[in-house]
Amino acid sequence: MSGFGAFLGKELGEIARTWRLWVLPGIVLFLALSGPPLAKVTPELVGTLMSEQQTGVLLRLPDPTYVDAYLQWTKNLSQLVLFAVIIISSGAISSERRSGTAVLVLTKPLSRRAFVLAKFVSHAALLITAVTLGALVTWGVTYAVFGEAPLRPLAEATGAWLALALLFVGLMLALSAVMDSQSGAAGLGFVVFIATSVGGLCRWAAEHKPAGLFGAPSDVVTGQAGPLGWPVVSALALTGALVAAATLVFVRREL
Amino acid sequence: MSNAIEVRGLSKVYGEKRALDGMNLDVPSGSVFGFLGPNGAGKTTTLRILTGLAAPTTGEARVFGRDVTRATNEVRADIGVLPDVPGFYEWMTGPELLRFAGRLFGGGGPALERRVQALVDLAGLSGVTSRIGGYSRGMRQRLGVAQALINAPKLLMLDEPTSALDPIGRKEVLDMIASLGGRTTVFFSTHILSDVERVCDHVAILRGGRVVIQATVGELTSRHGDSRIDIEVTGPPGPLADELRSQPWATEVGCEESGTLSVKVDNLAAARVEIPAAVARLGLGLVRFETGERSLEEVFVDLAGGEE
Repeated sequence: MSGFGAFLGKELGEIARTWRLWVLPGIVLFLALSGPPLAKVTPELVGTLMSEQQTGVLLRLPDPTYVDAYLQWTKNLSQLVLFAVIIISSGAISSERRSGTAVLVLTKPLSRRAFVLAKFVSHAALLITAVTLGALVTWGVTYAVFGEAPLRPLAEATGAWLALALLFVGLMLALSAVMDSQSGAAGLGFVVFIATSVGGLCRWAAEHKPAGLFGAPSDVVTGQAGPLGWPVVSALALTGALVAAATLVFVRREL
Repeated sequence: MSNAIEVRGLSKVYGEKRALDGMNLDVPSGSVFGFLGPNGAGKTTTLRILTGLAAPTTGEARVFGRDVTRATNEVRADIGVLPDVPGFYEWMTGPELLRFAGRLFGGGGPALERRVQALVDLAGLSGVTSRIGGYSRGMRQRLGVAQALINAPKLLMLDEPTSALDPIGRKEVLDMIASLGGRTTVFFSTHILSDVERVCDHVAILRGGRVVIQATVGELTSRHGDSRIDIEVTGPPGPLADELRSQPWATEVGCEESGTLSVKVDNLAAARVEIPAAVARLGLGLVRFETGERSLEEVFVDLAGGEE
């Protein structure tokens, strides 16, 4: 695959020296730092609000634990962070096509397959690094706030979510290869997000398909998760298929 | 002389539009080749096919004997390309872009560093430390030429390299191109005739997706550059104009308000003998008799016809 190493080096350099370094890691770290304290004070806040409104309803909330902090983390991943992934990845290929840089590099001995694969690897590397760091921060802050923070459920929940997020990176790469409009690709990505999350409500889909990974991180944290083998394997297989589709489309496109 | 580029029967159709229509072209190795045509004539489409960015509908294009649709990476290893609107990674500096381009060709180490420094000097970017995002248009275009030279290409393809530049920027880029003559085959598309006259030794004129003529610049102006003769006589020029219009070697006779006759001829030797004779027959005195060749611009306007 001609030019892969050089182009991947460019991609990683671009992450290190542009806004890309700050947006996704910034969001993830902010959520990781704020999640556990928020979980700690949420029952108090809710109680205060109820008493201020003098509803007469006596609300007894259980004392928060590390599980609440982890649930906060998994909810943030499944919504805010996944939205960010969709938006950031939606212009992965089309932005280079629009700006003319794709023509500049693809008239050199860089194969289009290497171009697409380097895009996927760099986006995946940034995502995995940021979310792994975020999980470690969540673990540390949770331990500091609650005095208890088992690593295994957090690692399993984060790992299951990463399989889902990689699937969306592959999807956005494929959409970005097909469409010239970044916002159009992002819009379609959101449509798929909604359809997949609705599909996750179906039991068969939840047990066998990537849709099951939407609720899986929270279920892992609460100890209610079923076997995740099929959803994870199917998500990774589908990711590979989407990257291959992105390559196929891009190889055939005229620039 | 072998050919760097050979194109045979090349066509490209976009929906209803035929961008290239059975084009034939030979670009000799070592030449500085001007690829002339009005906007929409098919210049950029030709370059896109030659660089593997687009596929031909029919026909064949070869670079150094290799089919551009099959041996894409082998072809690209031998060429340098400056697109018509080059896009750069704005966060890089000029030397970083050149280094990255060199790595795409498999370069590295001290040899690449030396090449980068030489090209930075050639592009007049020594001492410029800002990112490309802060470059002027002229600096970008010079950097574009420099990045196209990073692999010391046997063939340099430039698409309208001077069209968006001010006179100083144009001169700088043309000086760069002229300095490559003899070392590298340079194939550049343009609609600016003075650029071709200044740096090219060969030229092809494209009209409606076909090459209407291909020759050296000298051949073109002598073959298609009818000579022009300006004549001033004592007395009214009308009878002389009528007389000249009947001559087989006179292709066009015009009479300016000042009384000067402007005659285009395809046989200058005959005109030199017969015009003074006609002046004498009509009892006129010859005040001015001045010959001149048509410029490439006039040839281009005739051959390209201003058509899209």
